[in-house]
Amino acid sequence: MFRIDRQLIKDFDWIMLAAVLLIAAMGLVNLYSATYASGSVGNLIFLRQLFFFLAGISFIIIIHLFDYRLLLKWNYPLYAVIVGLLLAALLMGDSIAGTQRWINFGFFRLQPSEPAKLMLVISLASYYYRKDTGGGFTFKDMLVPIGLTGVLFLLVLKQPDLGTALMFVGIFGSMILFVKLRWSTIGIIFGLGATIIPIGWMFFLKPYQRLRIETFLNPESDPTNSGYHILQSKIAVGSGLKFGKGYLKGTQGHLHFLPERHTDFAFSVWAEEWGFAGSLFFLAVYFFMILWGVNVCIASRDKFGVLLAFGIVSLIFWQAIINLLMVMGFLPVVGIPLPLFSYGGSSLMTTLIGIGLLMNIRMRKNQVSKLEPREYMSISDIV
Amino acid sequence: MNPQKQVFTKIRKIDADELNQLKKRTDAATLIIIFFIAVIITRLWFLQIHNGSKYSEKADNNRVRMLDVIAPRGNIMDAEGRTIITNRPSFNIVWVKEDSPDPDEIIKKLSLILDEDIADLLKKVRESTDNPRHIPILLKEDIDWKTLVYIENNHYDLPGVRIEVLPRRNYLFEDFGSHMIGYTGEINQEELDAWQRGNYQGGDQIGKRGFEKLYEDELRGEKGTMYMEVDAHGFEQRQLKGKEPLPGNDLQLTIDLDLQLEAENAMADKAGAVIAMDVNSGRILAFASAPPVHLEDFVGGISTKNWQALLNNIKRPLVHKTIQGQYPPGSTYKIITALVGLSKGVINANTVFYCSGSMVFGNRRYGCWKQGGHGPVNLHRALAESCDVYFYQVGIRVGVDSLAEYANRMGLGQKTGIEFEYEKSGLIPTSNWKKLAKGERWQEGETLSIAIGQGFNLVTPLQVCQMTAALANGGILYKPFLVEKIFDPEGLVVKEFAPTVEVELVGMDKFLRLIRDGLVGAVNDKHGTGGEARLKDIKVGGKTGTAQVVTMEKFKEVDEEDVAYKHRDHAWFTSFAPAENPEIAVTVLVEHGGHGGSAAAPVAKKVLEKYFAKKNELQTEDVKAGKTADL
Repeated sequence: MFRIDRQLIKDFDWIMLAAVLLIAAMGLVNLYSATYASGSVGNLIFLRQLFFFLAGISFIIIIHLFDYRLLLKWNYPLYAVIVGLLLAALLMGDSIAGTQRWINFGFFRLQPSEPAKLMLVISLASYYYRKDTGGGFTFKDMLVPIGLTGVLFLLVLKQPDLGTALMFVGIFGSMILFVKLRWSTIGIIFGLGATIIPIGWMFFLKPYQRLRIETFLNPESDPTNSGYHILQSKIAVGSGLKFGKGYLKGTQGHLHFLPERHTDFAFSVWAEEWGFAGSLFFLAVYFFMILWGVNVCIASRDKFGVLLAFGIVSLIFWQAIINLLMVMGFLPVVGIPLPLFSYGGSSLMTTLIGIGLLMNIRMRKNQVSKLEPREYMSISDIV
Repeated sequence: MNPQKQVFTKIRKIDADELNQLKKRTDAATLIIIFFIAVIITRLWFLQIHNGSKYSEKADNNRVRMLDVIAPRGNIMDAEGRTIITNRPSFNIVWVKEDSPDPDEIIKKLSLILDEDIADLLKKVRESTDNPRHIPILLKEDIDWKTLVYIENNHYDLPGVRIEVLPRRNYLFEDFGSHMIGYTGEINQEELDAWQRGNYQGGDQIGKRGFEKLYEDELRGEKGTMYMEVDAHGFEQRQLKGKEPLPGNDLQLTIDLDLQLEAENAMADKAGAVIAMDVNSGRILAFASAPPVHLEDFVGGISTKNWQALLNNIKRPLVHKTIQGQYPPGSTYKIITALVGLSKGVINANTVFYCSGSMVFGNRRYGCWKQGGHGPVNLHRALAESCDVYFYQVGIRVGVDSLAEYANRMGLGQKTGIEFEYEKSGLIPTSNWKKLAKGERWQEGETLSIAIGQGFNLVTPLQVCQMTAALANGGILYKPFLVEKIFDPEGLVVKEFAPTVEVELVGMDKFLRLIRDGLVGAVNDKHGTGGEARLKDIKVGGKTGTAQVVTMEKFKEVDEEDVAYKHRDHAWFTSFAPAENPEIAVTVLVEHGGHGGSAAAPVAKKVLEKYFAKKNELQTEDVKAGKTADL
């Protein structure tokens, strides 16, 4: 059924794979330290993450068997599935600490807002690909993207998960700046945003979410309560100095000063134990991966591929930036993980699938010229 | 070149233009990415290199640790607001290994002071080797005053040993209402998962049984947070401001402390259940299951020895008999048989059946408890003297399914829906049930046993009490309830519970009055079976019952005292008072107590006496108060 194309094997993106493996390995090493000393529980967390990582890698391989352009055929049904999952999480999901983010599948709890991020990228890329952008998008053309984003945004805000909801806005914003817009369209969208944000602040945000943002804007007002996380994280990172305190020797993490040290604040643990040198090494590999992803945009000769690659890169990039700036005390605590590095099966799998798509786009860059433009490819054409 | 191809080429051209435009934008994106990389690396440099020594110092000297502060659980009060369960401070001995220069020496000393085996202490230390060294290890919970004073006075000799104060349940009336109050214990893995860890962590206390479990959400309160400044080794230096814990909400029960105590005392050497209910609302005034369990034994986990003793106790203290004990209703069921007979028109007040001491049906002889026979009996006498033959006659005329229909309407054979877990439903058989359960046809002879409350019939004491209350109030079946109000820590009412009507029997007033008359006769007539429950000033109505555990044929000639405990009959007495305008229903079941009249009725009498004595007192006080006001 699948004809092996030599060209495809030649174009397989080994570099991306190596970067991802390296980052994920650092993530696992760090996770072991972050959960160290909590006994068997920590062990379990580590093993779970390892399992999700291996599962994600096999997803990457499976993704390579199909052409990413199949997504053009399936984007709306997949979108509907994601909306269904988000609704299910709200209606019958597990409630943890007052939020409804999870669907329990027994062996694993799915956080559907994670795949929803990737789904938004796919949906927007498909839409922009199908529309002729010759003259630039008018505001009317933007109604569908706004709707696609808005539905996911509201469903996730309701959970409530402000950080992820804002990620959707970030993805939407990045992608409209990427495609060609008329200036009037940009004006309308920003105007709308400026009116909606104060309303959202008043009516949609929960008091604790407002408090987080207020604390960030004025950290001195409350040094011990909401500012505690940020302060402890800054101390952890700062006290790492040039070469760190050594693996498994970070005091901030191990003496339980640092909250959420295996999820959102995983990088604090890394920075504390490996210092400036180790952090630079990590950041170098991480941003190399992101820039290599941007390079996929340049390499691809297919408009859908370019749009999709750009969306995926911006998804990973913005999460990483927000997380890192939060960990270093530049942003409020919003609960955005560091992709590939923080603990969390849903986030890890989503990111790895995204990476798989990036690799897929690069691998098929030389096939595009053989295809007719603006046609959805059938499987037989592609493989 | 064909036109189609031309179009394609054109489109390709447009696409190529677009692609180029998009790719130009990726350059901009790259710039943005590089900008952020620069920001992050600068920030990292600023934190780790430029200000690194400052943060390093902070990490060493000025660490703030966040600690949970356990909230005191809410109190539980009786109907008059008298506290039954509250909290007291308990003192635990904890040890911080890192603070002790010579750990072995300390453990040796502690073993003597605490009177604990060294091996046990070392085991606790070993269990927490995974924890960081600054985390205190709990060595002994709830030490007594003498030990506390000794450790306080000698704390210079015991570096690293500290006393931790935690709120702990204080049972002011010991085992008062132990089955309904329940107990708390350390949360287990299952409960952590069930609660999704939301408000709990390992080591927390959580309600395990009874109200402590049912109202966990209310009683729990909200943990506070304490920020503790600690030094390089994790030692606490200074407490910073934090969030005070919010105590749990208080429960006010419908239970009357005096009645409950009276009931429990009356059952002191017995096994069984006592329930007192306000007939006009379903409020439960007393809810006793005997023997009680000793709640203090459960605090901090029950020992295997104590647990085994509870399991092996022939009086089954672990069974909450008011709702989990299922017994044949015995003659208390005659209330139902009479009601069906009257409603179906099979009998009226004047219908007379002749009791010769037995009755032959089919080819079997069915005896009356009075071997000499009652002679001609009407409904009043049949109820008062509990004549079996009379009810055989009624039973055979209405059939088993009619009996079941009315029994169900009066709440028997189904859960009352009281806010308690593990309630049993009992069993009211129908001909259909037998076909399904046993695969056999209903035998008419079995109807006779059913009519006097033997056979397959099973009920719980609470069901019988609910039925008696409905009989007393003219046919309204209230859902029994135990919690009146919930107060927040400021004393404001958060929740209030109102009576719920489950079933209302219409057009039965007349019949119920006739049955009540019979029951008043049982207590007050010369030959009544319930004379032991007679009160001086108040007219009581009641029905005795004796539920067979085994067919007593072979024990017939044996003295009751000589029959093995587990083969003795269960004794029932269910009553209401005052007869003219009933307020309270009291149901008593004494497991293996023998006859209802002699074993159960005196218990009911004590509870009724207490109820009316209290009421009297209250009225006298009112009168006095009224007089002063008049003057």
